[in-house]
Amino acid sequence: MAIPGNKDIRDGILFSLPFMIVFALFMIYPLIFGLYISFFKWDILGTPSFLGLQNYADLLADEKFWSSLWHTVQFVLMTTPVLLVLGFLMALLVTSKSPLRGIMETCFFVPYIFSMTVVATLWAWIMQKDFGIINQVLNILGRDGVSWLTSEKNAMWSISVATYWWTAGFNMVLFTAGIKQISKEIYESATVDGAGMLQQVIHITIPLLKPTTILCLILQIIASFNVFGQVYVMTGGGPAGSTRVLVQYIYETGFNYFRMGYSAAMSYVLFVIIMAVSVLQYVFLGRRED
Amino acid sequence: MRKRLIAIIALVVAGAMLFASAAPEKSAGKEGPIELKFWSLFTGGDGEFFNAMIDEFNASQDEIHMTNDMVRFDDYYTRLTTALAAGTAPDVIVLHQARLINYVPSGVLLPLDDYVSEEMLSDFQTAPLEACRMDGNLYAIPFDVHPIVMYSNKALLDAAGVTEIPETAEEFLAAAKAVKEATGEWGSLIDNTTGTYKAYTLTRLFVSLVNQQGGSMLTEDLSAAAFNNEYGYNALVGLQMLVNEAGVNPNELDYDAAMNMFKLGEGAFYFNGVWATGTLEQTDGLEFVASPLPPFMGKSAAWTDSHTFAIPVQKNQDPVKVEAAIKFIDWMTENAHLWAKAGNIPTRTSVLEGEEFNALPYRADYAAAVSSVIANPPTAAWGEIYETLSDLLESAVTHNEDPQTALDGMEATVNEIISHY
Repeated sequence: MAIPGNKDIRDGILFSLPFMIVFALFMIYPLIFGLYISFFKWDILGTPSFLGLQNYADLLADEKFWSSLWHTVQFVLMTTPVLLVLGFLMALLVTSKSPLRGIMETCFFVPYIFSMTVVATLWAWIMQKDFGIINQVLNILGRDGVSWLTSEKNAMWSISVATYWWTAGFNMVLFTAGIKQISKEIYESATVDGAGMLQQVIHITIPLLKPTTILCLILQIIASFNVFGQVYVMTGGGPAGSTRVLVQYIYETGFNYFRMGYSAAMSYVLFVIIMAVSVLQYVFLGRRED
Repeated sequence: MRKRLIAIIALVVAGAMLFASAAPEKSAGKEGPIELKFWSLFTGGDGEFFNAMIDEFNASQDEIHMTNDMVRFDDYYTRLTTALAAGTAPDVIVLHQARLINYVPSGVLLPLDDYVSEEMLSDFQTAPLEACRMDGNLYAIPFDVHPIVMYSNKALLDAAGVTEIPETAEEFLAAAKAVKEATGEWGSLIDNTTGTYKAYTLTRLFVSLVNQQGGSMLTEDLSAAAFNNEYGYNALVGLQMLVNEAGVNPNELDYDAAMNMFKLGEGAFYFNGVWATGTLEQTDGLEFVASPLPPFMGKSAAWTDSHTFAIPVQKNQDPVKVEAAIKFIDWMTENAHLWAKAGNIPTRTSVLEGEEFNALPYRADYAAAVSSVIANPPTAAWGEIYETLSDLLESAVTHNEDPQTALDGMEATVNEIISHY
């Protein structure tokens, strides 16, 4: 520690100070303020009036809160498994010996570079009922168009499909990195022992990828719980509120109706849920690997 | 030591640059025009006409220079509210009349009575001007009125042998059916499903139809829903019937699709705010009639809203800027025939009776609608009620729900919303 002339600690603090100031101002302060304001009724412009736990009590009785939470859970269930499997399969293709693997890697990852608004607007038009390209093609083939985004049956699946296209590439990158870490000797000896491709994937790649899979799973569930943009742009929460997700409801109550306290209370409930899910995953899946 | 000094100076300079933008702006100097800032929520078709007006205002005089900053409509009120809270709002803002109630009680809007001349005010139509008054004070100046109107496709009506624009619900249904039978196109195009926008048209029509029968959306003291009765029932059944039993209106139709289909001549009657006129008349080969919303269920009444200009209260309000802002508002409303090009109805008598406005096609046909517009309920809860009803009506119409059950649900939801404000 006390080496003469060593100013590591001072320099370290100095160098991280710009970040720490921004972090404290835009992350920590809002976090604490959000919790504080969730006990108040506040419309931004007026003075907050104290409500105690009223916002949290209202929330339990709010049908729209529960339906929005349920839609979010639906989205998590619809996207997480598919995105993991897709990402894994893409990673297998990309790490294979195929001559196309460079092109495939680019193709799989490019969608992830686009902003959410671009992706969601693109898919909203592709899936538009009366003028979208999918239904136009169906019409040419002599079939009726499908209400991709305007029927309650299909809307959430359609949003999920757009999400698959958009974010599977990110999981691919994680899985690719994981696969590349597995030592080649294991595969070589398996080949010598006469194991086929499929057997190698099932008995070598999948088990050895477990840490990556768990990381992907946790990140994916957190990301899916926070879904908002795609839904907001593609369906606006419709038809008839059937795809309204929790973050959208939080946004609407906060920034359309200016019920900041209630909005903050809901955010904290979502925070607790995501936290609980992550901790559970960590406890049940993550611990054994050490 | 010197190194340290340099470092400190560098830090101080960097810090000063960071905060420089937050320093209060100097009020307009003696030389040069007074600089004013404006935030506009007009995008798309409306935006072009509005920006052209700002340019013309700037060119018309050299005393004031107005800078217009366009904000995406979806984000406008979010940005405005946070700016008002932070005290960084521009010099002039535009607000929907229905939203005034969300801002006036917090004291963020400047009462204009002391700044506006009697002479200017006397030129305004009474109803839209009074709608900007709260507790006796004038908080905004109405720029336009934009009620919902009915557009009819002439070619389709001719093909079906319909010679008169329908006035009653029966005539409307008969005409819509005739069009469908004769041409195979849709009779009516009322959007009923959330797309880019919620199914607002359903709410606008529901509000209109309830009022046409003499009812109202909320009780007089604004404490509860007042539409769960025969008025609401008739209105809802009417909207459901077009889509379901009669089958003259497409189901799962969203706002953009309805507009496009009307442009393409795929439907005879189309309902939207007057702002659609500007777009529709630019469509090649579309011959249409625009008329005030017919009195389908009794008397004439139509949902409406109004764009108004307001002046935010600033920390150090500069009277010179306020005066300039009033001059801007005066010019804009006085030249609102330019704004009428987008379809909107002006609010000043001199404009309504002026040559320029009456030379425009269509507008004069529905300008009369101003006399039968419905005032938005003056409660902060109305925004949420309006949005929520759009979801519930969408569900009721597209699923053909039992009307009484649907109305009960709507009433309960509205009462619950009111209890939170």
